[in-house]
Amino acid sequence: MVAALAVAGCGSATRTESPPGQAQQKQQKLVVWDWKSGEPVAAAYIEQAKADFAKRHPGVTVEFVAQPFDQYYTLLGTAIQAGKGPDVMLFNGGGQIRDRADALLSLDQYLAQDKSRLAGWDAFSKDGKVYAAPVTLQGHPIYYNKALYEQAGLDPAAPPKTWSEFVSGCAAIKKATGAACFALGNKEGFGIQFFLSGLGSGVLTPQEYDDWIAGKRDWTSPGVKRIFELWKDAGDKGLNNDGANSTAMFTDVFRVFETGKAAHIIGLMSDIGHWNDFKEFLPPDKIGVMQAPVVTDGATPSLPYDGGIGYAVAKWTKAPDLAADLVRSLTSTGALTAFYGKAGAIVSDTTIDVSQAGPAVATIASGIKSGKPALHVALSSKTLDLMGRLSQQLLSGSTTVDKALEQLAASDRKG
Amino acid sequence: MRIAGPSSSARKARAERLAPYVLVAPAVLIIVALRLWPLALGVNFSFTGDGELNGTPVGLGNYLELAGDPLFHISLRNVGLLVLLLPLAVAIPGLLATFIYLRVPGHRVYRSVYFFPAVLSPVIVGAIFNLMLGYDGPLNSLLGSIGAGPVDWLGDPGIAMFTVVGVHVWATFGMALVVFLAGFSTLDSSLLDAARVDGASLRQSIWHVIIPSLTRTIQFVFVTTMIGMLTSMFGLLFVMTSGGPEGATYLPEYYIWHQQGQMNRPALASAASTVLFVVMLVVGLLQITLLRRAGRQD
Repeated sequence: MVAALAVAGCGSATRTESPPGQAQQKQQKLVVWDWKSGEPVAAAYIEQAKADFAKRHPGVTVEFVAQPFDQYYTLLGTAIQAGKGPDVMLFNGGGQIRDRADALLSLDQYLAQDKSRLAGWDAFSKDGKVYAAPVTLQGHPIYYNKALYEQAGLDPAAPPKTWSEFVSGCAAIKKATGAACFALGNKEGFGIQFFLSGLGSGVLTPQEYDDWIAGKRDWTSPGVKRIFELWKDAGDKGLNNDGANSTAMFTDVFRVFETGKAAHIIGLMSDIGHWNDFKEFLPPDKIGVMQAPVVTDGATPSLPYDGGIGYAVAKWTKAPDLAADLVRSLTSTGALTAFYGKAGAIVSDTTIDVSQAGPAVATIASGIKSGKPALHVALSSKTLDLMGRLSQQLLSGSTTVDKALEQLAASDRKG
Repeated sequence: MRIAGPSSSARKARAERLAPYVLVAPAVLIIVALRLWPLALGVNFSFTGDGELNGTPVGLGNYLELAGDPLFHISLRNVGLLVLLLPLAVAIPGLLATFIYLRVPGHRVYRSVYFFPAVLSPVIVGAIFNLMLGYDGPLNSLLGSIGAGPVDWLGDPGIAMFTVVGVHVWATFGMALVVFLAGFSTLDSSLLDAARVDGASLRQSIWHVIIPSLTRTIQFVFVTTMIGMLTSMFGLLFVMTSGGPEGATYLPEYYIWHQQGQMNRPALASAASTVLFVVMLVVGLLQITLLRRAGRQD
């Protein structure tokens, strides 16, 4: 045993680069990995994209392999390690794709024509190069339950503009209906990410906000500290639903909001946990979307959003041109219109008309132009992981805001 | 009788000498190719870097990072906790099997009821208990109705690990119970009858008759329960706590999965796997020693 280890110690078990594009003509099959194509709501979208691609490349078959999302990045990691796998693959924007950018093909030369039509490119870029084309936009609007507002005697058409109005409104709602202010699910530590991004634009000045996104993050600044103090205060003052640290983000917490046990939720724009999901229990006209309440003077609330999911091309593909063309089909206006129509996702194509879908969507759509990247998406997955655990400690009182920020700053510096 | 020449007898001797090696070769090759070689690759991989450093040797870098990672410390501490909770996990099926053996009323029903959870997958068990133990779930409502405050079973870092272990024991003790019942079937019932005639109480019969007669069964259950706790808690952790709250329910397995799949750090995960391997090796060797010693006593 020891001998075997010693012998193996100096070799290497790394991935070998596959030889660059050869025999493009011969390969007549492209393999796509994602976690979407198996869902019924995405069926029309995939069909449209396939049809669009088949029109331009009739001889090429495209195989979609839907992986379970729980295991997706584990499986992808194995493929990347082996240097072979799908030609095209779906990614979440931000850390998930940036961490794996060295296994992907830069797509700038292929996607130049789509640059102005689609929004959300930043989340799929690293060091100025684009690695995937955005399919949906993912962001964190603050949804509120208009019915609870009415019951508490508040005007559902004029949601609070400042933090103090917001808190007093919540007190009125609690008194009249017993509902909590925020539906918060922080079991996995995701709650803090939504909180940071959802409320950040009401706390940081535009300059601080842009600096944060650009990578100049001052974790000791009063603004950043204020956000984490608000997080702790919201917990201490009972604004959240009970047991936030054991409430799961993507299942339990949306139920809390839908069933009227909480008046607000910092939700999502696409995939799940958005207006289209809520409508099962809450009719669209009872769901409002508000801007982040202003906490500090000089802050300009904006919609925090990024590219949500997008298709990328693997470096090892034997047919980069074909694969990139498939990505273009997957982000064509026709396909994205179908995705929006069936899944209710806010898609990346800014030319699609969404005015028919109700007030919440209209508010979100109107915020896209002035929106900014979400604060948490700029952080590395390691820092996000740490932030999740620290946020739970802040809620349970086992650490202080200063200590938490110190650790986050150290993790953020390391990258 | 024909006497073989010197050359033919030498050949025969050599064939006989080689035969054992030839015969064990397939087994050895399979073990080397499918077990030891991948293991060596994995260990070797743990000395390389992740991300941009992919493939470059980093020496003990990953191990130093593990040594400084509070999350990994928690996961190892939780292994220690599991070892401490082991006697409880063995005592529960042991006691229940004793009651069944002593034919308490309804013992036939209990036998199947106790075994039932053992056929459920951890994911299903986890989902059931997620609902039961939710902050606004039925268990807390029940506690509320008798005036006790709600407990955040899965959200309090001081409680969550015990909750998950409790559910794991609930879900798996059926198997140990069956082993205990098998052990009881070899128990000499005349000893128990004699004890009863002599006026021994239930506690005395358990302590002085049943436990000494079942030493080997108890040891076997100890070993298998230990292995079960260290290697098959992942499903429950994944479904019930995702390692949280505050990282309090991390176990090495979960840590490895997290680093490899979520953080994209396969080499660091390899280092953690190697540490887990060494821990399991030590635990396993200790258990083998224990079993051998027990075997000698009989």
